[in-house]
Amino acid sequence: MKLKLTACFMLFTLLLFSQENYTISGTVKDFSNGELVFGASVYLENTSTGGITNAYGFYSLTAPQGTYNIVVSYLGYVTIKQEVVLNANQNMVFELEEDTTSLDEVVITAEESEKVNIRDPQMGVALIKSATIKQIPAVLGEVDVVKSIQLLPGVTNNGEGSNGFNVRGGAVDQNLVLLDEAIIFNESHLFGFFSVFNADVIKDVKLYKGNIPSNYGGRVSSVLDIRQKDGNSKDFELNGGIGLISSRLSVEGPLFKSKGSFILAGRSSYAHLFLKLANEDNTAYFYDFNAKGTYEISQNDRLYLSGYFGRDVLNFDDAFSNSYGNSTFNLRWNHVFNDKLFSNLSFIYGDYNYRLQLGFIGLDWVSNIKNMNVKYDFKYYLSNKTTIDFGASVINYNFNPGDIKPLDSDSAINEDSLDKKRALEGGLYANVEHKLSDKLNVQAGLRFSIFNRLGGQPIATYLNDQPVVYNETLGIYEEGTKTGESDYKKSESIAKFSNFEPRLGLAYQLNQTSSIKLGYSRVSQYLHLLSNTANATPLDVWTPSGSFIDPQMANQYSAGYFKELQNGKFSIETEAYYKTVDNRIDYIDGSSLIANNNIETQILQGESRAYGLEFLFRKNKGKFTGWLAYTLSKSEQKTPGGNAGGPGINKGDWYNTPFDRTHDISLTGSYKLTNKWSLSSNFIYQTGRPVTYPVGQYEYEGLSIAVYDSRNANRLPAYNRLDFAATFKPNRKPEARWKGEWVFSIYNAYNRKNAASISFGQNPDTGANEATRTAIFGIVPSVTYNFKF
Amino acid sequence: MKKYIYLSFICVVNLLVSCTDVIDVEVPTADPRLVIEASLDWEKGTLGNNQTIKLSKTSPYFDTNSSNPVTNAMVSVTRLSDNRVFNFANNNDGTYTTTSFEAVFNETYQLDVLYENEVYTATEMLLPTTEITKITQSKDGGILPDAIEVNVFFDDPDNETNFYIIRFQNQGDLFPEFRDLSDELLNGNEIRVFYEKRGDDENDKDNELKPGDVVDINLFNVSERYYKYMQLLNSQLGSGNPFSPTPVELRGNCINATNADNYPYGYFRVTETDERVYTITEEN
Repeated sequence: MKLKLTACFMLFTLLLFSQENYTISGTVKDFSNGELVFGASVYLENTSTGGITNAYGFYSLTAPQGTYNIVVSYLGYVTIKQEVVLNANQNMVFELEEDTTSLDEVVITAEESEKVNIRDPQMGVALIKSATIKQIPAVLGEVDVVKSIQLLPGVTNNGEGSNGFNVRGGAVDQNLVLLDEAIIFNESHLFGFFSVFNADVIKDVKLYKGNIPSNYGGRVSSVLDIRQKDGNSKDFELNGGIGLISSRLSVEGPLFKSKGSFILAGRSSYAHLFLKLANEDNTAYFYDFNAKGTYEISQNDRLYLSGYFGRDVLNFDDAFSNSYGNSTFNLRWNHVFNDKLFSNLSFIYGDYNYRLQLGFIGLDWVSNIKNMNVKYDFKYYLSNKTTIDFGASVINYNFNPGDIKPLDSDSAINEDSLDKKRALEGGLYANVEHKLSDKLNVQAGLRFSIFNRLGGQPIATYLNDQPVVYNETLGIYEEGTKTGESDYKKSESIAKFSNFEPRLGLAYQLNQTSSIKLGYSRVSQYLHLLSNTANATPLDVWTPSGSFIDPQMANQYSAGYFKELQNGKFSIETEAYYKTVDNRIDYIDGSSLIANNNIETQILQGESRAYGLEFLFRKNKGKFTGWLAYTLSKSEQKTPGGNAGGPGINKGDWYNTPFDRTHDISLTGSYKLTNKWSLSSNFIYQTGRPVTYPVGQYEYEGLSIAVYDSRNANRLPAYNRLDFAATFKPNRKPEARWKGEWVFSIYNAYNRKNAASISFGQNPDTGANEATRTAIFGIVPSVTYNFKF
Repeated sequence: MKKYIYLSFICVVNLLVSCTDVIDVEVPTADPRLVIEASLDWEKGTLGNNQTIKLSKTSPYFDTNSSNPVTNAMVSVTRLSDNRVFNFANNNDGTYTTTSFEAVFNETYQLDVLYENEVYTATEMLLPTTEITKITQSKDGGILPDAIEVNVFFDDPDNETNFYIIRFQNQGDLFPEFRDLSDELLNGNEIRVFYEKRGDDENDKDNELKPGDVVDINLFNVSERYYKYMQLLNSQLGSGNPFSPTPVELRGNCINATNADNYPYGYFRVTETDERVYTITEEN
């Protein structure tokens, strides 16, 4: 609260001094296709006045009357320098041309413009452009956003064939994944082999690993903000690719006499994705569609309409049939109130649904999450020293954890429905970015979040208010005794939560090329993914906070040192973080989550903590570009018995989360050999995933039973892998419209059998215990042909 | 029932990838504990007088000589309603037997084991078991499309919550398979439980059930606690695949009354069982 008052005071004092100034505002676009450029730097030469364009390409600069050189730059594009006589407020649109003459290759640009990067108080953020993602060697040639961010420090996942990603020791459900602002609840196709994002329609990807800005909320670990292209507003363009497992095609072009643009894209894998499934009755494939349209109503108003629809379909001999996917829809209206006030209003609808049919037991199960979101965001360019972001959002959630039906008349299954859940999540935020001095920049934000778990369902009541009870005699946690149910009407509220979430960032510039930054953020999370398996599965169910489940609360502290060498040719970024999460859900021994209407009887809430050191060394320019990322970290959790009594889960001791990786090294690079050939390579090394190995055996009922003890006390062997890719652009006439390229890649070049898991069991022929390793991908060569017309 | 859902995911992942091999792994070894395998099964149509209890100690996971019999204990079972004690004779090979057990429905029995001056104990009630109504064989009712499966049918009573364990063992196999089932989604219906065997991959027909194979089948109605015990036991067999829950310590219903921290493993169950033998035929 104090913070807020200080911020207000700052505003007033600044207002008093903002006289006799004029403002230049407008947008920055890409000359070739009219795409708005996010993150371009716009500044007045020889002054400290400058800024970067927002996600909609908008900028606003204010300076005293005079004549200036305005400089617009973006790495990989020709810098524009233009004289401007500032004697009135004005609107200027800049179109940047791609720098084709130099051999410079952009690999990754974290918060564009070298100077701004050093000064920006935002920490723990990385921006990756679509072009970069496409350079990274990919398994089976399928370009993958989620895999590419794992090359950054602090980002890992549970290996091949696992959903999602883990940021700074956090769980998969602690990432807010947004596609054009719509929440994506499952970012994976086919159990994590591929991500749901088609690289052809993605403009850029921004990942916040810490210090999440106050305009975001609802997830404690990270925000992955993915923006789709607006579509070429100058020319029709066709892009496509034919690969070994999937093909894709996108078309984009101008609409309404270049006042608008559209892009339509589709991608599909082939029906018999893996050779093992070469059987007519088996299918496993995915497809997705992306669509977006924009329309410029006036200089100050722009409309965006975007949508996504994706599905995974698996069918095995009708014994098992499964389909799931996300669909999202977003309508946005950008409005520039005046040259200093930019706004965006969004209506977002999202639906994640899941269907599973098991023929052999006659089960038909459908579940889904629907959400409707209204957001209104403002950016106010108060002065050349201060910008203020503020806004509000409301999300309405409808959870349907499961409708169960008999599949056919032979089925023994009785029809059943799990309780539907409803909730409303609201947020109000403000964020002030202010240059306190030439050297010190501050970003102070506050988010007020509220969560209302709405009625319309019964809630069980338990003896002594204990859904889980510790059985002292047997030393185990058990379901509590149900005493009844209280019925909540739709108009009633089951539980309400609200939290103030301050966010603070400081950047102090040591000299022209280096700075230190400090950050603090507090974030709350009201939704939880229930999963007691090592890897999240698509059927894991999301559940809102309520009578028995409190929201997760994270506090993260970070500090960093940033340095540029040789005029930005190289850069070094180091960050240290310490993060705690309260009310992290943990699962009692033997918990059963599937189709469980009373999930509170299976869980306890504890805490988790993660800390680490991240190091990123990059070469940004030249024929060779790339980076080395190293992370040293720890992630662990502890769950005391609390209200349930007893010592807690894992005897109440701290234990490693499945996302704990002591060492994580990624080395990635691209080299432009000639104009026709470019090469790229990755090397990844990670400490093995924490797992639980048996500590003994005994015979029971003719079976050899493994004895297990502490959770996650052992580790899989270290994960490591080397990939190569080569891109060949055949000779072609410069005027030819058809441009093709071949991408040859080798994934896991030295064919390491990285253990996705090790299972322990009895050999059926000898009866002896043995350890079996499951490795997902050995060496995978692939070839893809991409074209552009 | 719910286990099938996980099971099917495991099958899918195996189908998709399945590059598996047996490797050497070093595993830690915990201090040994007593294991009590006290399964007093009263086969329908018999007197149930002959009962055996096995005692052993845990051993290192990869020890090939896994049976580590406990030969110096004293074992008895007491019927609590009338304090009738059934002493089990020590056969000095880790088994303890009686020929005079008297099974009575809905009676509570207590197990007592005296071992190394510590008393281990557990109680359990004897429940009647539902009758198997028929056994059939088919090919298209299981997960594998062409593999023969044996189907066991029984009628679930609809006025109560029931928990079932079904044991299958193809004679000649080294170890049996268990199914755990609750009537949560099936209450009051005719229930079918199937048993099929799969090889390493779909073309490996040798390990599937064949005509002439003889399958031993047992159906048990069990307590909720034992159902949960077997469910966890089952789910942790061959655990460690990417979709299986983190394996945890499996605790049964036996406690150490002298020294609680030195708790035993295993279970004391007293159940009626419907036992059948089915021979796979050439016909379908």
